[in-house]
Amino acid sequence: MNTYHYDEIAIGHTESFEALVKAEDMESFKAITGDINPLHNDETFAGDRGYEGRVVYGMLTASYLSTLAGVYLPGERSLIRSVSTKFYKAVFIGDRLTIEGKVSDKNDTFKLLTVKINIKNQKGEKVLKGEMEIQVLEVEENE
Amino acid sequence: MRMENNMPRDEVMEKVTVIFREVFDDDELIITDATNSDDIEDWDSFEHISLIVAMEKEFGMKFDIKEVNTLENVGQMVDLICRGLEG
Repeated sequence: MNTYHYDEIAIGHTESFEALVKAEDMESFKAITGDINPLHNDETFAGDRGYEGRVVYGMLTASYLSTLAGVYLPGERSLIRSVSTKFYKAVFIGDRLTIEGKVSDKNDTFKLLTVKINIKNQKGEKVLKGEMEIQVLEVEENE
Repeated sequence: MRMENNMPRDEVMEKVTVIFREVFDDDELIITDATNSDDIEDWDSFEHISLIVAMEKEFGMKFDIKEVNTLENVGQMVDLICRGLEG
């Protein structure tokens, strides 16, 4: 886990990691959220609608943003303030995703990072794009 | 980046009003010097950060976190901006 302080991160700082989407991840997500929609759970239903297989929950793909902030950028001192996302392309079980965040703005008063997000699949296709506001929690020094 | 140094207070108030309307997503929101967090339901510590971040961007200044945390109403906020523009 990264342990960046706010001052160690400059605009343009980029972090990324890879994640393989597995069938058991879909089961876990369904168990947690109760989303039983057949597009994510029924091969035939998804196939009838033109998809090559069950479509991975968009919010499962987006859940990697938690890891991006909490483990990589800034890591340990992370507090996610807001997330906005757009889903560009369906993700399928077995896809290997690259999750990347790039710092586009900083607010020194609140030690707040604005991070542009891109998630691509193994073919280099953009599947999710978004923006996060992440606060870097620092322990205040005694005066 | 520093903007207009001699911006009249009423002009600052107009810009602050625009920011409040954007942050609270209310095009008809009316604010005065006396408006405080009791008057706007969604004005909590979360949106206070949104307001201050937006004001720093609009007026090209950085506030002191301690000053920001002691602001009690819109008037004090506008006064802080005016002092920043003068200084």
